[in-house]
Amino acid sequence: MRGKILGILSVLILLCLFLSMATAEHWYEPLSSKFLKLDNIMNLLSRLSLYGILGIGVAFVIITGGIDLSIGSLVCLSGVLLSILLNVNYEAESTFAVKQITATQQLIETTAAAGEIPSDSIVRFTGGIGSGVVFTIAEEVSPGVLRVEELPPRDEPEGELTLAVPVRSFDVETLTAEISETAAKAGDQLQIFLPNGAVSVQTIVSVSADSGSLRLQLERDPGKKYHTGSYAAVLRRDQFMPIPLAVLCVIAITAAVGLTHGLLITRLKLQPFVVTLCGLLMYRGISRWLTGDNPAGFGELQEVLGPVASGRLPVLLRGDEVLFGIPIPFFLLLGLATVASVFLTRTIWGRYLLALGRSEEAARFSGINTQRVTILAYVICSVMAGISGMLFAIEFSSISPSSFGNSFELYAIAAAVLGGCSLRGGEGSIPGVVIGTAVMMVLYNLIMLLRIPQSLEYTIIGAVILLGVLGDELVRRAAAGQRLRQDRNRN
Amino acid sequence: MPAAPQSQPRLQVEGISKSFPGVRALQNVEMHLQQGEVLSVVGENGAGKSTLMKILAGVQRQDSGSVRVDGKTVSFASVSDAMDAGIALIHQELNLADNLTIGANIFLGREPRRLGLIDERAIHRESTRFLKRIGLSLDPGTLVQDLTTGQQQMVEIAKALSIDARVLIMDEPTSSLSAAESERLFDVIRDLRSQGVSIVYISHRLAEVQELSDRVTVLRDGELAGHLAEDQITHGNLVRLMVGRDVSRVFSRTPFPAGKVAVEVRGLRTSTWPAHELNFAVHSGEIVGIAGLVGAGRTEVLRTLFGADAPLSGEIRIRGQKLTVTSPVDAIESGIALVPEDRKQQGVVLDMTIRENISLASIHRTARSGFMNFAAERRQSADMCEQLRVKAPADTIRTGNLSGGNQQKVVLGKWLSMKPHLLLLDEPTRGIDIGAKQEIYQLMDRLAAEGIAILFVSSELEEIMGLSDRVIIMHEGCITGELSRDQLTEQAIMTLATRQASAANVQN
Repeated sequence: MRGKILGILSVLILLCLFLSMATAEHWYEPLSSKFLKLDNIMNLLSRLSLYGILGIGVAFVIITGGIDLSIGSLVCLSGVLLSILLNVNYEAESTFAVKQITATQQLIETTAAAGEIPSDSIVRFTGGIGSGVVFTIAEEVSPGVLRVEELPPRDEPEGELTLAVPVRSFDVETLTAEISETAAKAGDQLQIFLPNGAVSVQTIVSVSADSGSLRLQLERDPGKKYHTGSYAAVLRRDQFMPIPLAVLCVIAITAAVGLTHGLLITRLKLQPFVVTLCGLLMYRGISRWLTGDNPAGFGELQEVLGPVASGRLPVLLRGDEVLFGIPIPFFLLLGLATVASVFLTRTIWGRYLLALGRSEEAARFSGINTQRVTILAYVICSVMAGISGMLFAIEFSSISPSSFGNSFELYAIAAAVLGGCSLRGGEGSIPGVVIGTAVMMVLYNLIMLLRIPQSLEYTIIGAVILLGVLGDELVRRAAAGQRLRQDRNRN
Repeated sequence: MPAAPQSQPRLQVEGISKSFPGVRALQNVEMHLQQGEVLSVVGENGAGKSTLMKILAGVQRQDSGSVRVDGKTVSFASVSDAMDAGIALIHQELNLADNLTIGANIFLGREPRRLGLIDERAIHRESTRFLKRIGLSLDPGTLVQDLTTGQQQMVEIAKALSIDARVLIMDEPTSSLSAAESERLFDVIRDLRSQGVSIVYISHRLAEVQELSDRVTVLRDGELAGHLAEDQITHGNLVRLMVGRDVSRVFSRTPFPAGKVAVEVRGLRTSTWPAHELNFAVHSGEIVGIAGLVGAGRTEVLRTLFGADAPLSGEIRIRGQKLTVTSPVDAIESGIALVPEDRKQQGVVLDMTIRENISLASIHRTARSGFMNFAAERRQSADMCEQLRVKAPADTIRTGNLSGGNQQKVVLGKWLSMKPHLLLLDEPTRGIDIGAKQEIYQLMDRLAAEGIAILFVSSELEEIMGLSDRVIIMHEGCITGELSRDQLTEQAIMTLATRQASAANVQN
């Protein structure tokens, strides 16, 4: 194993050397090359981190002698899920559906219960042609049926009433609006109905109560005309889930996916290839269906989430400008790789994994619950795909469910194989996989920097992997031959 | 029927030797076969029969020695070379494509063609001819999967005849046939003999051998034990030549001090032989052997006790405590260990080191919250290697590089480090050289003296007789008898082990 890691490491170093020389103005000045530009290195590290996490995951499955083709689709699904679970909605505190407005009688029939819309309260009508009209309630004639003071412009068959309050004052200097007391908190939005019928929506920065009225500090000036006769309604901010909970949910869902794969493969003895191939198709389909095939993103949360995927820990600064920083995901990769490596080499489950990958039967006959360990490997793989999928989605900020994550599984598998995992099972190391991923990323970089037509991308990557595997096989044969000769000599 | 001159046998084998890593499978073996003759080759498991047949059929190559067909020296590089010379091997496990028809199987790879397409009519015509020659009136268009095992065997023979085979090697052809089917096969064999085909017949069933053979060649431990002419073929002669060696020298069994019942089995039915209920017990410090022919259901008993196969019904008690084993995990938890028959697949992980193999079943005991205790692992492995005298430069070398005997010691080391109450061994000395065998015998004796109950299966009679305090004899899934040490004779064991197959011959 150590030999394999050294082998792939030297391939990586040679590639880097070559690329440094090939992209420099003069080959003898490699330090000035495009390849070694700080930006390029930062980007490489960032991509390495995300793909590396995928590779580590699939390595566990490959060590059991299995395969997971569903990774790419699972990356997409977890990105989509995170986006959905973090969906942010703004909703008016109290709105009521309108069943009928009868203009001549000044009556509005609503679905509100008795007393829900008190007399003297102000409502704004939306829907139909008469949208934007503000009414004052005179009295409740019967439950839900209201008589208003103003004459409605016309009859309306349907629409919506929003309870509003008058804007008492507005301080342009401090961007502070004063309204009568109502429920509001920082992060909510204030919907201001201007007298001309226009609506302005502003985010509330802070809230303070002041004897029967609320002072709201807004993010921006809603415009001049609010002063006289404006009304306002608070839109409550509703985020489907807090961020940590959403992340945990995605991890739990991907773990359940892995568990399902594992159970199908161990209990029902289905082939890993087939099970995960079906997964590949299904999770892609689910992602597209969940989003209606529309791009998914994180909206206003992108600002909060962004640094997790695209943040840099500054190392080299010029003034305020970061010349070189280590991408935050790189630390995540280092952390996960360390845990994975310790798990594989220093715990009994890692030992069991390696044993059953080499001989499932012998492992079972040694009292190892091989099914449980195999299932664990599939769970680890899916969860890693989930983690990496969330990071990818945040990094890309907008993902299109039909293409996001396409063929990522092949990159991950190729990286694991380059890094010394044998598809026969029982062999593999985490540092090897990380280095293997790095080779893939540098190769991709090479195609970009050397302006090789991108249409050749897959050809080159494919050829290099083939060469790698070929070299490994030749070394293996040589070793086996040597073993045979030793055996002969002993007899 | 024209008899070939006796001076020129159809098949002549001289001085054949073959070694595998760690094992000498054949040594200087001689054998010859006349035209129109049935020659049986018998011997215990591991005696070298299969290796010899594989060499004759071109599956393997000999290290030295010569094979002559009709006086001409031949050298087979492949199965098709052997076929070209007129030698066909019919494997124990049939090699038919069961989704194809009889005709397609007979001509598989040699399909007659017309205008580049397969000539189905020629296949039908020719197949019918070959089927008729062995007295089978089946439509060649029948799918092989719709045939009985006996009929499939006949198709194999027809296929051999279609390549004009003049030597037919049959490896345990009756092992999965019913009595009626076997009789039918014997008729065909006699018929072929009268047509001038020479047949090499390999079987464990001595009754069949006596019934069919013109001559018998006996192998033992890879060497020729002797030839028997037709009038010398008796049960006694066969067993004497097969077992042969002075038994008492190798074995040392210290008398067994009666211990408590370690394991008790009541009404156990295995999935392979659901019709028979098994009852037996093994005491602490006792070595019990299970004797019987291959396929008698001995391995299934061990596998079921170990949880590798699920029992259909029955009760297993370990030290009086009722036990439900659904997997080896449960069995090992209750102190049951199995040294399996298939050492390379089930006994050790060949690609792992000796140390990793020895610790595999017990690392969870020394681990601290899942983390390996490498120091304990090292100590345990060193201790076992010393105790069992594993011959290796270090315990960090690949187990697959060891000889069979040393691999077996690693398997034993794995189990001894978890201190079992009941040790099950399935053919513990198969493919192991005589020196290591003796060490394993001594070890079994010592372990029994330490109070471990031992239940082992062996096809080598001398092993059964030399080691066991008591022998359980099985035949076709049921226990046909139990013999205590002072009742043990080859004759007694063989009689019980071949009870039905040799019913006619047991009396004389």
